[in-house]
Amino acid sequence: MPPGLDNLKHIVVLMMENRSFDHMLGALKAQNPRIDGITDQSTNPDTTGAQIKAQPLAEFQGQLDPDPDHHFPAVDLQIFNGDTTAGRAPTMQGFIKSYFNQQRNVTHSQKIMYYFTPDKLPVLSTLATEFAVFNRWFASIPGPTICNRAFAHYGTSFGRVDMNLLYVNEPFKSIYNRLISANPKHTAKLYYYDQTSSTMEITNLLQNQPELFGTFQQFLDDCDKGDLPDYSFVEPNYSDHDSDVGEELASDQHPDHNIQAGEQFVASVYNAIKQNADLWKSTALLVVYDEHGGIYDHVPPPPCPPDGFTASPNDTGTGMEFKFDRLGVRVPAILISPWIPKGTVVDGRIFEHASIPATITKFFLGDYSPRSPREASAEIFLEPAAQPNAANNLLSLASMRTDCPDFA
Amino acid sequence: MTVIRVPVPAKNSFNPDRPVSGLLKAQILHLQDAEKRLPLDLRSNLYINAIKTEGEAADYIRQVTEAIHEAHIDPVRRRAKHRRKARPSIQIAAAADERSVRQTKKKVARKQPAQKKA
Repeated sequence: MPPGLDNLKHIVVLMMENRSFDHMLGALKAQNPRIDGITDQSTNPDTTGAQIKAQPLAEFQGQLDPDPDHHFPAVDLQIFNGDTTAGRAPTMQGFIKSYFNQQRNVTHSQKIMYYFTPDKLPVLSTLATEFAVFNRWFASIPGPTICNRAFAHYGTSFGRVDMNLLYVNEPFKSIYNRLISANPKHTAKLYYYDQTSSTMEITNLLQNQPELFGTFQQFLDDCDKGDLPDYSFVEPNYSDHDSDVGEELASDQHPDHNIQAGEQFVASVYNAIKQNADLWKSTALLVVYDEHGGIYDHVPPPPCPPDGFTASPNDTGTGMEFKFDRLGVRVPAILISPWIPKGTVVDGRIFEHASIPATITKFFLGDYSPRSPREASAEIFLEPAAQPNAANNLLSLASMRTDCPDFA
Repeated sequence: MTVIRVPVPAKNSFNPDRPVSGLLKAQILHLQDAEKRLPLDLRSNLYINAIKTEGEAADYIRQVTEAIHEAHIDPVRRRAKHRRKARPSIQIAAAADERSVRQTKKKVARKQPAQKKA
């Protein structure tokens, strides 16, 4: 087995909020043409018919207010530009139109095309260029947060395309329950920032199994003591709020929260793992965003195998049913480990959030059923060496890197 | 080894008075649904439609999250914890007594000059 996989004992997933790939990492194409980012062809028509280019004018806060619509009908407009005919093709030409609908202000609507330059995002840009950045990681659903996060926990949203209550239908179990009920047992935990920020996985997990949860301070302590579970899912702080230690700034990067606070948070997760030498060599960290938040990306979401559920025309709000047979908009995703060659760009394979439980299950449990059709067909980002696709192993170095950056 | 400096957000970024987002609204609704299943003594009794800001949302989210954890503590421990929690009300009662003593003293103090006049 390659030494990186041989050493791998812990997988950590940090899921941030509502930013598209082009918005956060698209400018990296200028540094590395293999990264599928912004080009001169990255444009959208505004409501006057003028072609508006993507521009490097994104600001840390105060620009995307109101929060760009990212519910199912709005995302459908963003992807298909209002085409509702049978056999329609995704063009990614409806982003400005969609944002215009919220304020009826042409100038303001063009801000949906703004993106960050790497110097503004030193943490995310460094991680993307130092480790493995995914050219094709898509949200699981062209819709909002809750249903997309469900794919990371269950490999399905059980037919939901919205923010409403979502109930687990047997036989599909959460990745946490699969691990803790396995023989031999594995360990798994969700770390929310604090009890004031809490989790987005309330209805099924927090309500019924609060023992699965810890705070971010516990995550830091567990990293420090070497007590990290086999699988950890980390949630950022979702709100500006006061705490015993003072003012806590939202770190989720959800518009209109401060982007730099999110940068600090990503760095703190990375540093906590890296500062424990044993943990650093035995951990893979995935930083990924739940969905694009209504912000421009140029890559059309591909079709995918249907999930066995159907959302009714009433549920989608588009007048059309949805069979979960197309992915959402592309999001940033970076896999981090000292066993990954610097500057890796993962291309040619399509990932989505169902890839998370698919990978964790495959790595820790091997063959497992039942799983949702989407999860069963999802690409995995850590190939166990015994698998026939070992060539896809990203932790491929023969010896561990010693040149990985530190954040201060 | 390269050390990357991470910029600090502007000091005026903190805004708990920001209107509550769609995401937080959904989180509140999910917590309210969970709250309906909690024992009566652990419910917040807060009216969620009155929550308008992130700070107010955060307060509700904390109360219900703590209550969910509390509800899963075994009954014996929870009763014991509740007895410990009951102290603040005694302190309030004590404080109330203290205030009434102070008020009494004030009344007495007010009366004293009159007595002197007399």
